[in-house]
Amino acid sequence: MTDLAPLLRLENVTKRFGGLVAVDEVSVEIHHGELFAIVGPNGAGKTTLFNIISGVFIPDEGHVYFEGEDITRLPVYKKAPLGIGRTFQIPRPFGGATVRENIAIGAMFGTLSGKVSVDEAMEIADRYVDLVGLQEHRDKPAGGLTPVDKRLTEIARALAMKPKLLLMDEAMAGMNPRDIDEMVAFLKRIKEEEGVAIIAMVEHIMRAVVGLAERVMVMHQGAKLVDTTTKEALSHPEVIDVYLGKAPE
Amino acid sequence: MFAEQLAGNLIQGLVLGSIYGMATMGLSMIFGVLQVVNVGHGAFIMIGAFTTMTVFTKLGLNPIFAIPFALVIGMALGFLFYYVVMQRLIKAPELASLLATFSIGIILEETVKLTFGSEFRGFNWETGKLDLGVTVLPYSKLIAAGGSALVALLLYLWYHKTRSGTAVRSVIEDSEGARVCGINVNWAYALSFALGIGLTVTSGVFLTMFIPVGINPYMGGGYTVKAFVIAVLGGLASPYGAFFGGLIFGLMENGSYTILATIKGVEPFALTRFFSFVTLLVILLIRPTGLFKSQ
Amino acid sequence: MSARPGKYLALIPVLAAYLGMFVFGRVQPDMWQLVAMLAFYCCLGQAFNLFLGMTGYVDFGYVAFVGVGTYGMALTLSRLSGVEGIGFGALVIGLLAAAGMSAMLSIAVGAVALRLRGAYFAIATIGVNEGFRYFIEGARIWNGSEGIIFSKDLRAIFGRETAIALSTFWADVFVIVIGASAAVVTLIYMRSKIGFALTALREDEDAAKVIGIFVTKYKIIAFITSAVFAGLLGATAWALKLTYVYPPDAFEIHYTVEAIIIVMLGGAGTLLGPVVGGLLYGLSKYWLAIILPGFQLLIFAPIILVIIVAFPEGTVGYLKKKVRGTALERYIV
Repeated sequence: MTDLAPLLRLENVTKRFGGLVAVDEVSVEIHHGELFAIVGPNGAGKTTLFNIISGVFIPDEGHVYFEGEDITRLPVYKKAPLGIGRTFQIPRPFGGATVRENIAIGAMFGTLSGKVSVDEAMEIADRYVDLVGLQEHRDKPAGGLTPVDKRLTEIARALAMKPKLLLMDEAMAGMNPRDIDEMVAFLKRIKEEEGVAIIAMVEHIMRAVVGLAERVMVMHQGAKLVDTTTKEALSHPEVIDVYLGKAPE
Repeated sequence: MFAEQLAGNLIQGLVLGSIYGMATMGLSMIFGVLQVVNVGHGAFIMIGAFTTMTVFTKLGLNPIFAIPFALVIGMALGFLFYYVVMQRLIKAPELASLLATFSIGIILEETVKLTFGSEFRGFNWETGKLDLGVTVLPYSKLIAAGGSALVALLLYLWYHKTRSGTAVRSVIEDSEGARVCGINVNWAYALSFALGIGLTVTSGVFLTMFIPVGINPYMGGGYTVKAFVIAVLGGLASPYGAFFGGLIFGLMENGSYTILATIKGVEPFALTRFFSFVTLLVILLIRPTGLFKSQ
Repeated sequence: MSARPGKYLALIPVLAAYLGMFVFGRVQPDMWQLVAMLAFYCCLGQAFNLFLGMTGYVDFGYVAFVGVGTYGMALTLSRLSGVEGIGFGALVIGLLAAAGMSAMLSIAVGAVALRLRGAYFAIATIGVNEGFRYFIEGARIWNGSEGIIFSKDLRAIFGRETAIALSTFWADVFVIVIGASAAVVTLIYMRSKIGFALTALREDEDAAKVIGIFVTKYKIIAFITSAVFAGLLGATAWALKLTYVYPPDAFEIHYTVEAIIIVMLGGAGTLLGPVVGGLLYGLSKYWLAIILPGFQLLIFAPIILVIIVAFPEGTVGYLKKKVRGTALERYIV
């Protein structure tokens, strides 16, 4: 049964803050091992949607299913071990801990069995230090790293949780085109190697979206505009109208 | 008999409460803008008390004239401590700002102790009394209560009707946004801290009119803790909330004391304080935004 | 092979410091009172650091746990003094009572206050401390505001000679042992999942939750552990040593502030910090009282301000940075 169910299914999810509807009846399905992008301008409700999936907010209406199970009201710390990892818009590694310790913390607490010992977690961490190429910074406090290295630390921390789904909040914000290309290649590689589905949230870097995602959902003022293949989204008249028309590039 | 006593004590409580409220507005203002809890709050009240005493006994002036002195001294101290210490701790963990404001309080207390000594000093300002039947109110207390209400009103007008007040409000809402809009955020912080301290020192002028045992350098400690309870009643971050919180606290303090005094086998004074802290915890848990703000 | 060789080497300097205090006091008997004071401050810092340093939550009412532990021992000794032949059993029961009562208080406070963060938590804990004090006084439990004086009970249970030895020597030895034990527990926590969870929650509580850490559990663990050591400290350094307890002293907020200063001076969240902070604080307090009596606080307060602004990581925090990547790294933690 669970094998047939989509990895993540949102069903009419709505979240309001006071009078403002931040997320408006969004329904979408994400499958195992998929590269998916959520595109939309600032304020379109993307971060709120992420916060609902990762459990920071509980939606006012609608349901969140993960592998067929209703996780709508599960407390935030119980969601990660199911296999939901995330990164933040502004990278938030634990600044006082070393890169290695940051990643080990992910391995220790982010897995369902909860039986990863500290020593095992350190060994797992070393593997992911290699994967993201931070060997020379391994024993430095993460707080002193460059923004890009902080982001890599955060991604490695999330991957050490052995997630089935990785939520990446503005993974490419503030990067130059070369960094973006590298990040796209890197995400494709970890998708293959780790077998993880990735939802990347992107504001307006369409080039990256084309290179990265197989499917996109475009959001506008909290609601879903379209949910289709990347190519079709690009030529979709509504998308061009409300979104592409205004964004440069 | 009991009803009359209760009525009398509640009137006294309301009068005292307005001073309590004013004595907490500075604390709330500083927390609202800088997110800093001034643990040295009471020491600034003490500075106001000593300012009053000096104006009254050394200069031989009416204690009312201590108000401008207190405001100027308070704001000067506020700017001084802001630029020397507090501005470096805006983004620091709570631990740093709590310990820093505590240390500032100690510096003030010890300096005053060296200057004036640590014994209690009383002084008496005779103004006559108003007899209300159930209780008697000296005019000095009424002046203090009226002055406190006036200060609360002036602060409200400053916040809402002046450019600098509006700037401070926008910093409270969103300091980054305010910065983008060209507001000098550091200046807004400094001004708020200085005004908060100025208000607190000024409240010391009013409070001395209520203290029968006199003043000493360490008198502030009790007021700091009371001010926390009052500030939480008012929502911690709102100066007017604090004023109304003070009124409620004054009523509560005198009311519960009067009632507890009828119970045998307890100490009503201590139990009253116990209940005020229970109130503090309950409000923090169920309405951390205070009693007055909806949402 | 372990992924972390020599992970308990850091115990050597910290235990050496506690042992050093004891040996110094034995070699210089006229300095024993100074050693007792230093041990008290080190132990207070070590116990508080388990919560304050490791979680970053500022418990402004921490002294309440020391006070309750004092009451635990005081109540035990005064109630059991009539029991024939109770002897050292009373001491054991007293320590257990102190630990149990402070643990219970910490669970009650934790269930309420640990839902709050930052300044709200600090204010709530001040409220608990003051509230508890005025409850004892107001409701006249545990002898209310008169407190409990139990020097007679101590003599009745142990005899005059032993009672004096308990107050003037063994109480201080216990304090040293409690401080050293708190240090051992600190390092065990640091090296286990608890320590990693606490690091994560101290740095960024929301991010910690998102990666699957049940932060409430770890906060409570640190809170109870820290409270139990505080209770034991009260049972020995205050109850056994002074043989009285009196609410305004047992809940005096200045002790909380001293504990904060010690932790900050040494380096919050480090193993060695509380000992370094306790020695620095205790020694300077001692010398200032001799050189400039009456001016200690006026000299201390600005120094604290300078430290907060210029060296927020504390002595050991600063040292840790300096020795990173060297052989000393395993010893300075």
